[in-house]
Amino acid sequence: MAGPGATASAPERQLPRLMRASFRFLPVAIFLLIWEAIVDLGLVDRSFLPSFGDTMAALWTMARDGEIAFNLWVSIYRSIGGLAIGSILGVAVGLMMATSRRAEEFFGPLVATTYSLPKASLVPLFILWFGIGDVTDMLTVVLACLLPVVVSTYHGVKAVPPVIVWSARAMGTPRWKILWRVLLPASLHPILIGVRIALGFCFVLTISAEMIAAKSGIGKLIFFYGESGAYAYMFGGLAAVVVVAYAADRALLAAMHHLLRWDDSIHAAAADG
Amino acid sequence: MSRICIEHLDKRYRSRTGDVPALLDINLDIGDGEFVSVIGPSGCGKSTLLYVLGGFIAADGGTMRIDGKPITGPGVDRGIVFQEYALFPWLTVEKNIQYGLEMVGLGRRERDAIARKLIRTVNLEGFEHRFPRELSGGMKQRVAIARTLAYDPKILLLDEPFGALDSQTRETMQDELRRLWLAQRKTVLLVTHDVDEAVYLSERVIVMSSRPGRIVEEFKIAVDRSGGREATVLSEEFMRLRNAVWLCVRRQVSAAAH
Amino acid sequence: MRPPPMDSAAAMAKRSGAALWAALRFCFPLLLVLLAWETASRLGLARPLFLPPVTEVARQFGTLLVSGDIVGPLVLSLYRAFAGLALAVVIGMAAGLVMARSKWTHWALDPLVSIGFPTPKIAFLPIFILWFGIDSLSKILLVAFTCVLPMVVATYHGALGVSRTVIWSAEAMGTSENKMLYRIILPACLPYVFSGIRVTTPVALITAFTAEMIAGGGGVGSALMFAQRFFQTPTVFVYILVMLVTGFAFDRLMLRLRDWLIPWQDEAERH
Repeated sequence: MAGPGATASAPERQLPRLMRASFRFLPVAIFLLIWEAIVDLGLVDRSFLPSFGDTMAALWTMARDGEIAFNLWVSIYRSIGGLAIGSILGVAVGLMMATSRRAEEFFGPLVATTYSLPKASLVPLFILWFGIGDVTDMLTVVLACLLPVVVSTYHGVKAVPPVIVWSARAMGTPRWKILWRVLLPASLHPILIGVRIALGFCFVLTISAEMIAAKSGIGKLIFFYGESGAYAYMFGGLAAVVVVAYAADRALLAAMHHLLRWDDSIHAAAADG
Repeated sequence: MSRICIEHLDKRYRSRTGDVPALLDINLDIGDGEFVSVIGPSGCGKSTLLYVLGGFIAADGGTMRIDGKPITGPGVDRGIVFQEYALFPWLTVEKNIQYGLEMVGLGRRERDAIARKLIRTVNLEGFEHRFPRELSGGMKQRVAIARTLAYDPKILLLDEPFGALDSQTRETMQDELRRLWLAQRKTVLLVTHDVDEAVYLSERVIVMSSRPGRIVEEFKIAVDRSGGREATVLSEEFMRLRNAVWLCVRRQVSAAAH
Repeated sequence: MRPPPMDSAAAMAKRSGAALWAALRFCFPLLLVLLAWETASRLGLARPLFLPPVTEVARQFGTLLVSGDIVGPLVLSLYRAFAGLALAVVIGMAAGLVMARSKWTHWALDPLVSIGFPTPKIAFLPIFILWFGIDSLSKILLVAFTCVLPMVVATYHGALGVSRTVIWSAEAMGTSENKMLYRIILPACLPYVFSGIRVTTPVALITAFTAEMIAGGGGVGSALMFAQRFFQTPTVFVYILVMLVTGFAFDRLMLRLRDWLIPWQDEAERH
């Protein structure tokens, strides 16, 4: 049983935490050093592997020109926008499937079959329909994010203990309110786990769609520099992607821990990185 | 008035191999303000009876009426407390207790006032803003009871509410329940497997057979409880009734074994 | 275990009838969608360039099948996906096992795993093409790169999950570290490994298809892009459906395989 919050003074607890975090990520620093070393020492041809330094220099140039900011922004709004739309739709469909026999029988087979379809395969089709641009990319992302959220919402809602719903009904909750006031909060943890999976997908699909055909975006940037041989810039774009993807995942995790602070299992799963 | 009339109640569970009867021809009359316990061997359907009365599952035969009106579904006239507490884990203690009040349409200030009073009644002051996961079993059960009492239902349905508690906490909670009932005189139907609890708290004890559940015997409990728990429990009258009920339940258990 | 009692013919017929009925109910929404598609197309609600009728797609499927334009590319894509997956499984299992046993290895690799996990690995495709060309090697390695992390994590958790009393017993009986790894820990974490493979197989397929779509070099993905560039919409649909059916088939196959290989796994542990 959790007691009241920690009473140790803040600075005392900060220092060890910073040290622990640095120690944890020390291998990354070592990795970067080794990377820099093998290129500088000539063990690997610079034209095949730009050094960490080269990459950072290129990244800095792109940042100064606004090139990185612009393309990152485009990719981010396509991916996060698609994630948001896909998640909302996914929760709605999952809720429907979990509460209505008919919805389950209708959507169930559709979900099961399209789950295995690589959504990137729809990009050429969408290009035929909508041309190259935001609609194609975002639609692909929406479809990719939809299914994991549908499935996790469905299972989450089905797992809500009946006595919780019964209590709410005994206290006068009308049927339509049960969805919003009871089922959704009670299944929030599984739903957010599905959203986290969808978060991974949304970046993969945005970048895939941009590499297949796009006028802008970080995927296109990486591909373009790859084609034109400016490998330091290609690596620079890649570094930006790694940072953004990691930061987004951490942000979602932090949001989950806050939104689910009432949930027993999130505290047990706190070790899950 | 909150008289419960149950006539020829049947409930069956459907399975692939056929129907399994859970309740058979239950006839029960509970008067306004009466405290009645239902007791019986495990699986005898006593919880099922409560769920049907609460309107959560439908009966297959017979009638159930509250004040002459048939039961069609869950409602704010029948408050229920489950063995698993069924608190809303995403709401604080205070918000849990206020939930029913919100559903019946009370304003913010009224809800706060009633909740505060109830929190004091069940001795949970200081825990208003805690989440259920931070509470012990006994505390959770008190929140569950407070939550149900908040919107003042005429009838209380209690499904083994103290089953998961240790015996000291259980005795404290039983006394609290009796105190509340004496003050408010709601109609109470308590399902329990604890013979002592049933005899200590109720005016009538109904014994059910094992599956399919039938009512086999009714005991009228006329015990002088004015001397407090110790005097009551150690009195001859209490022990006699308690043993009679216990024996009756034992017979149902061994009847099932053969 | 005693074999189940012999069923009467009537009972068996009833069960297979029920199974058939269940299959029909499953297909019903799909057939509904196909019907809506065909109607919309035929009625001219959508231009044939955008939405060719289902029957047209089906006919094109037949044509392509006969001309070898389906089986050839599909085999190539599958080869790339599963070669990459196999590589990922081997490397992932090795890394996961060592990470579970050696605190230093865990320290060294864990941040790379944490940072690598949320990254869209497809973004590394241009690097792989630069280093390994546009043929199968780059795609196999990209698939391996994408699939290795889930395998590491699955193996790591499986190995950690071995109860320490089991390990202590083995240690007490004089098991060397090497033997410990492959006689005790490896078999114990197989269910987790298999679960990881089951989850990662679609990833392998998707990565292979996507890499082909972006970089060409044969396979179903390239064929799809080729058809799109020449506005051959029925062919586009054919290849999309090929990818869909392939993914679905392997998912079902994995489920069957799991039931056959690891029948002892607790029902509660299954997803």
